Amino acid sequence: MGEIFKLGFMLMLVAVIAAVALGYVNSITLPIIAEQKEQAKLDAMIDVAGSLGSGELSFDSLSVPSLENPYAEVDQTLAVVSVTDSTGSELGYLFVAYGRGYSSTIQTMVAVNTLGVITGTTILFQQETPGLGANVSNPAKFMYQFDDLGYSSLLLSKDGGDLDAITGSTITSRAVTSSVRAGMEALSASGIIPGDGGVL
Amino acid sequence: MSLAQEFTKGIVKENPIFRQALGMCPFLAVTSSVENALGMGAAATFVLVCSNFLVSLLRKVIPASVRIPSYIVIIAAFVTIVDLLMNAYLPALHKSLGIFIPLIVVNCIILGRAEGFANKNKVISSLFDGIGMGLGFTLAMVVMATFREILGNGSWLGFNLLGEAYQNQPLLIAILAPGAFILMGFILGFFNIMEKRNRGGAR
Repeated sequence: MGEIFKLGFMLMLVAVIAAVALGYVNSITLPIIAEQKEQAKLDAMIDVAGSLGSGELSFDSLSVPSLENPYAEVDQTLAVVSVTDSTGSELGYLFVAYGRGYSSTIQTMVAVNTLGVITGTTILFQQETPGLGANVSNPAKFMYQFDDLGYSSLLLSKDGGDLDAITGSTITSRAVTSSVRAGMEALSASGIIPGDGGVL
Repeated sequence: MSLAQEFTKGIVKENPIFRQALGMCPFLAVTSSVENALGMGAAATFVLVCSNFLVSLLRKVIPASVRIPSYIVIIAAFVTIVDLLMNAYLPALHKSLGIFIPLIVVNCIILGRAEGFANKNKVISSLFDGIGMGLGFTLAMVVMATFREILGNGSWLGFNLLGEAYQNQPLLIAILAPGAFILMGFILGFFNIMEKRNRGGAR
């Protein structure tokens, strides 16, 4: 009997020391990690918005009551941020598109100018197959094709459009393309961007 | 055994992947590109050295009958601490290694070395064993990833080797899971043949 208590006590001791160590490290790193996540998101916004215009940009979240949420299927909302330059004139909008890919929900930040033309994109989050779908994070593989397009041009060549999918990753490519398209259609339907700026 | 031997045995003679067939899960899952293989190798080596150190230090304190649960708690705690610290202070590295770090907990090389070596040997030898095994693991990962990335993507560590034409129509199966199993068979077969030849020569 005493042996069992001794073993249990040792095990408890190991677990308690590990828990205290983890709690201590967590208490130190938690605020730093939160701050970094916020910073990373802001950096992505500044980076993508840089394609809309140069100089000091300011961001304001835009609330449009008639805006539909195209991402209800993946439990995310469509949040639109308007971008203005230092003189106060509106340059365009940022939104995050959510698309169900092959093995993750891919988050794409999109910058659209006031004419409804995409000026820049970046992938915020994806966990697609390394070496295949994960190539979506490399702008030169796929996303470069989005620049200067309106939403009606957002269609893979397999679906009758002009965008070349990533080799072996049609599901990933289609998820990104249709999620960005759905977001822009919603923006257009609520009158934020004109009908179709894609006719250039 | 000298310290130098403790160090080098993990790289060739007792290579965790090729000779002990441990850690097959990351070997198959994370070798689709050389970059991932290097990242996983580095992260696993770090945890392996830390856990070997601590297990060896505590080998006389922890009773034998509860040693395995204790090792698992120690390893899991280390992995979580590494994950948190890296996330806070080295965010760039964490971004590229992030998904591999929780996977290290289930890397059986680490538990294997704690059980098979560190709990019977002195702290210094355990440290060298950890570094050697970690390097051996990293080397094996890079060998596998080299084959898979060149065949499946025409590149090595992101550099285009085989040209645009190949990259547009590569041998995709090498990057997918079945290709990993096929290549693993060839690689393990190759090492078994080498082992047999070596033994035959010695006798």
